[in-house]
Amino acid sequence: MKILLACNAGMSTSLLVQKMRKEAAARNLNVEIDARPLNKALEVIDEFDILLLGPQISYAKKDAQAAAGDKPVLVISMADYGRMNAKKIIDDAVEALA
Amino acid sequence: MIEEAQEKESFLDKFAEVSAKIGNQVHLRSLRDAFATMTPVYILAGIAVLINNVVFPLFLVDDALAAVQYWGNAIIFGTLNFSAIILAGLVGYCLAKNKRFENAVACVVIGIASLVIMMPQVVTVTIDKDAGTVADVSGAFITANTGTNGLFAAIIIGLLATSLFIKLSGIDKLKINLGEGVPPAVGDSFNVMTPMMLTMAVFAIVSATLAGAFGTNLLAIISAIVVAPLKNVMNTGPLAVIIIYTFANLLFCLGIHQSTISGVLAEPILTILIVDNMATFAAGQPIPADHYMNMQIINTFALIGGSGCTLMLLLDTFLFSKNRTSRDIAKLSILPGIFNINEPVIYGYPIVYNLPLMIPFVLVPDILIAATYGLTCAGLISPCVVMVPWTTPVFVSGFLATAGDIRAVIWQVIEVAISMAIYLPFMRISEKAQAKQLESEGV
Repeated sequence: MKILLACNAGMSTSLLVQKMRKEAAARNLNVEIDARPLNKALEVIDEFDILLLGPQISYAKKDAQAAAGDKPVLVISMADYGRMNAKKIIDDAVEALA
Repeated sequence: MIEEAQEKESFLDKFAEVSAKIGNQVHLRSLRDAFATMTPVYILAGIAVLINNVVFPLFLVDDALAAVQYWGNAIIFGTLNFSAIILAGLVGYCLAKNKRFENAVACVVIGIASLVIMMPQVVTVTIDKDAGTVADVSGAFITANTGTNGLFAAIIIGLLATSLFIKLSGIDKLKINLGEGVPPAVGDSFNVMTPMMLTMAVFAIVSATLAGAFGTNLLAIISAIVVAPLKNVMNTGPLAVIIIYTFANLLFCLGIHQSTISGVLAEPILTILIVDNMATFAAGQPIPADHYMNMQIINTFALIGGSGCTLMLLLDTFLFSKNRTSRDIAKLSILPGIFNINEPVIYGYPIVYNLPLMIPFVLVPDILIAATYGLTCAGLISPCVVMVPWTTPVFVSGFLATAGDIRAVIWQVIEVAISMAIYLPFMRISEKAQAKQLESEGV
């Protein structure tokens, strides 16, 4: 499973990525997680299974979905994002891919 | 009461929707992407300018100084003095990507070639600086056109040429069909040939007409009718910049990134102004007053801890708050906050849809923009002459951006104090409101 996160500059999502990787390792999940700025993310979406957008770029969901084709594109909720709730975000991603 | 609340919400929704539309506009977005790609180049130029003009003169003079300064000048030559050419290609590339046009590399070529096509073929150069003699020469590019002064022309011509090229490429009749069995790469290069030649031919006709009939060129025209008025708008006091950032930060309070607005409406021109300043400073010239307002006023003096200057909210929380949730979020947010990244604060504290904190979040940056601009005009702090990354921590950023003016650092200390004072009462109101809400929910 390969998860891609995107936000405005790829800075704040990279914080979240660290937490998600830790969480995934603790659960023994076989996942790769990466973060990119939005425009770069849309270029490399082919290499991933799911795209998670930070809430600050929720307006770009339509464009992102167009680029992602039939891969799921989710917007992380403001509360989960603010509290860097890696557990919940991974749960949501796993559920979307199931 | 309920109706009123709904009305308010629908206004905010509308505002968010319109902003997202502006931020999503393909040309503006491409412009923002192009500048984002260009930023490392400008940062490098900034480092070179600092080392050349501040560090080297500390221990070297005369010929030895000139000899080592060749290093920094070489970087400035390849970055600042050539930035219009680079940007024209990047604008073409980003527009192609954002329009999902397959042959993005062709758009790099189109962007650069069209900009150069529009340049004057005879330029005036200074032969002897001291005597002030000049001469008209042909077969030369001048950095006034290829460098920071040409950035606007690069944007406008790059966008126009690429748009035309992409449009022409969509016309099937212009495609040259080589039949099956031809390698796809060869086929692609032939497919773009006609549209490419047509685009450049059209631009060359415009260039020839302007030169032949009017004795001018598009770069000069753009400079006169676009650049000059725009720079004026940004410098008739800090008003225009403050209005844009008020809306931008308000938008962030609704959960959408502020650069959706500011990144397309203010940042390109403010970036051009600071890049201009770097070139001016590197050349040893004084910074003109119409360049006092620039990107660094925002990134260095009004973005302390991120949008809304939330670092000071965190400091207030550590010093004065007893609320455990707030303190937990502050602990989580302080380290990224030092580097001006604050999404955890915005969404976690939260600022979003939290009226008491939305007020200082919008107000504090506005006050700091106005005050910093005022202090620069009054000569109390040096104008910003170096572009430093927006992730540079406070105090270091002020020192670097002004090429080592200690007064700028002192001003940043004062800024921190002012902002903490403004945030404090709103933080208390927010905590009271939250406590009340918990009570009414019976928790």
